[in-house]
Amino acid sequence: MPATTLTTPSRPHAPTAPGGGRLRRGRAERGDRRFNLLLMAPAVLVVLALFAYPIGYAGWLSLHQWNDKISPVHPYTGTDNYHQLFTDPAYREALNRTVYFSVITVLAGVALAIGLAVLLTQQFRFRALARVLLLVPWAVPPVVNGIMWHLIFDGDTGIANTVLRGLGIIDGNKQWLSSPTSAMNVLIFAEMWKLLPFLTLLFIAALQSVPANLYRAASIDGAGAIRRFAFITLPSIRTTILFALIVQSMWSLKVFDTIYVLTGGSGGPAGGTTTVNFFAYLTTFSNLDRGYGAAIAISIMALVLLIAVFWMLLFRAPSWFVARGIGRRGPGGLGPRRRTA
Amino acid sequence: MAHHSQHTQSSHSLPSRRSALALGGGLIAAAGLTACSGGSTGTAGTSASPLAPASSAGGSIRILDDNTNKIFQSGVVAQFEKDTGIKVEKYEQANFNDLHDRLATLFSAQDSSYDVVMTWAAWSAEFGRAGWLQPLDRSAVPQGVLPAALDAVSYGGTVYGLPKFASAQTMFWNKNLFDKAGLAPDTAPATWDDFVSAAKELTGGGVYGYAADMGNTDGAYQNFLRVLLLNGGTMYDADNKPAFNSDKGVDALDRLVRLLRTDKVMSPSSLQITNSSDLNTLFANGKAAIVFNWPAQYPVAVAQGALGASAVGNGILPGITVKSASIDGSEGFAINAFSQNKAAALKWLQYVTTAPVQREMVQKEGWFPVTTSLLQEKTVTSHLPIVSTYLQESRYPIKRFGAPWYSDVVQQLSTGITTAMLGRTTPKKALDTAADQASAIIAKYK
Repeated sequence: MPATTLTTPSRPHAPTAPGGGRLRRGRAERGDRRFNLLLMAPAVLVVLALFAYPIGYAGWLSLHQWNDKISPVHPYTGTDNYHQLFTDPAYREALNRTVYFSVITVLAGVALAIGLAVLLTQQFRFRALARVLLLVPWAVPPVVNGIMWHLIFDGDTGIANTVLRGLGIIDGNKQWLSSPTSAMNVLIFAEMWKLLPFLTLLFIAALQSVPANLYRAASIDGAGAIRRFAFITLPSIRTTILFALIVQSMWSLKVFDTIYVLTGGSGGPAGGTTTVNFFAYLTTFSNLDRGYGAAIAISIMALVLLIAVFWMLLFRAPSWFVARGIGRRGPGGLGPRRRTA
Repeated sequence: MAHHSQHTQSSHSLPSRRSALALGGGLIAAAGLTACSGGSTGTAGTSASPLAPASSAGGSIRILDDNTNKIFQSGVVAQFEKDTGIKVEKYEQANFNDLHDRLATLFSAQDSSYDVVMTWAAWSAEFGRAGWLQPLDRSAVPQGVLPAALDAVSYGGTVYGLPKFASAQTMFWNKNLFDKAGLAPDTAPATWDDFVSAAKELTGGGVYGYAADMGNTDGAYQNFLRVLLLNGGTMYDADNKPAFNSDKGVDALDRLVRLLRTDKVMSPSSLQITNSSDLNTLFANGKAAIVFNWPAQYPVAVAQGALGASAVGNGILPGITVKSASIDGSEGFAINAFSQNKAAALKWLQYVTTAPVQREMVQKEGWFPVTTSLLQEKTVTSHLPIVSTYLQESRYPIKRFGAPWYSDVVQQLSTGITTAMLGRTTPKKALDTAADQASAIIAKYK
């Protein structure tokens, strides 16, 4: 077998035609491009108006002292508002709360949704009814969701106390929304209830695309339910998991309506449910500090991007190691097989 | 060839790239100009001269109110249109807790969708100073308007509106529960110590001696402020420096904490009640024996199916180091500085202060009238007996400390108050921290 020489692939030459055909084709291609650009222009303008302009405006606002209550003059202050982010204990506390809220809602939310999806793809009686019931929380508007959980966790008349007392978990009525910690946990509970249907549906759809013969083959090879889940199910829905993690991370950073309704618009008690997004709202609309509020909003955007990149890198990492032969890949292992030929 | 001709054809029927870019650039420039135009926000009202009543005013107005009063929709608006010939194009109500941010957004956009907006002490200061409310000439203020009610629509000596009702907190108690606990049902606890003793006697069997609405930012603040005033304290000194962390302030917060944590006479749900309406219901249902609340407590408590008039006691608030004091909750209407119908808007403001409207406010809503003459009118006092308590309470300080920095400071202070109530910090540390934060906030306004 002759040795092959690796060469950099060259761009294919454009075919020539007699009589300056290449030149005419070049013009035609440019014309095509212009025409395509023209067709895309309305969409680009809409994107600019709806996304680029507000983001650009927020960026511009964040470089100014813009508080109408203090002064009608709005001087350029450079990066002062961004410096304030690093020194403001209220922002730091809001960030900590957001991390706590996000870690639980994202990880537990996705894990629970996978579990529910696996359960709902099994054959059992009333499966169709269970799937319909799953949609109920999703059908509830966010504000109604907040009101509902506020009523359920009311310290005097809420049903949560009645149920938990009946089960012997608590002795007397607990004021769930009067302490920052328990109010935050109620918020997490309410948000998880709202987000689970979407994530579960996503995973049900992903699970239905996994070929059944993989499971049959694995069973014949003697793989139990856990191994089948770990080495067939999870790798097969890997891209869906990535999507769910990114989407849920973004939602957890943006949570607002449930906090607003649950806490009477205050993010309390004692600021205990004031996440970064709610802090941006309070700063911008309650305190009218639009410059600093815009800086907080920009920081949220940066956080969203960072987290999305983090998840993408994390999900890419195993393939990267495997491609370089790092790590053990035994029989039945996860990831691409080592090439043998 | 066919391709070429297609290109030529399209270049004739569609705008060229240059014109498309020009169009796009124009749109972006227009957006940029819109953004820049926001730079002048806040100057309109500050330079506006005070508005005096016009001999005649017509046209139409739009009103944005909170959802406290039903009488406007149920008749006053129609009667105003009939009496003045001014059309009320829209009368809209919004939840009080949501209204501030909605108004701030409207004003900062120099929006003139509403000519008349609801206001109170904090907003009159905040929006008035920002130049978003139309200053009124003194000649626009009707004779005999209560000073406390006028304060709620004024800031820094400038009148920005006219009151729609007067309000101050007084003490309500459940006579049946007093009787059951062996306390004299017709005698109000006269001092703070009397109140605490009574509350101890009244607590038990699912009933608490006292309940409050401290579940949100403003609620925590106003409950602390009330005890601070009852202790002879003040929010700020003469130079607007925070004084709420004085010994009197620390003692006031300590007393509030003790009610909940040591004496255990305050309903634990007080920390999650976010508005006075829920407190109204709690009291009317007999779950709290004593509450310090707004006048609207009375009609709810005496309504059919509730306690009934004979079971509701009402008196001035019991003092700690002073005889009594209270917090102001008067509300009013102001004119949007960007309104195009200011003369007609002023007619509405004045109409609301007239005797027929005020009598209806007393009879149907239970709020106090805004003029001194009506406070003493027999038809008013016989229908709303608690008006006489307000007259007594008016002999003592009734304050709210509305200021442009109100919401910023209250946010910080209420966090400290709630943290102390939860026993996570001492009253002194909570108030000292809040005072430092308040000083930094107020310094920005100088």
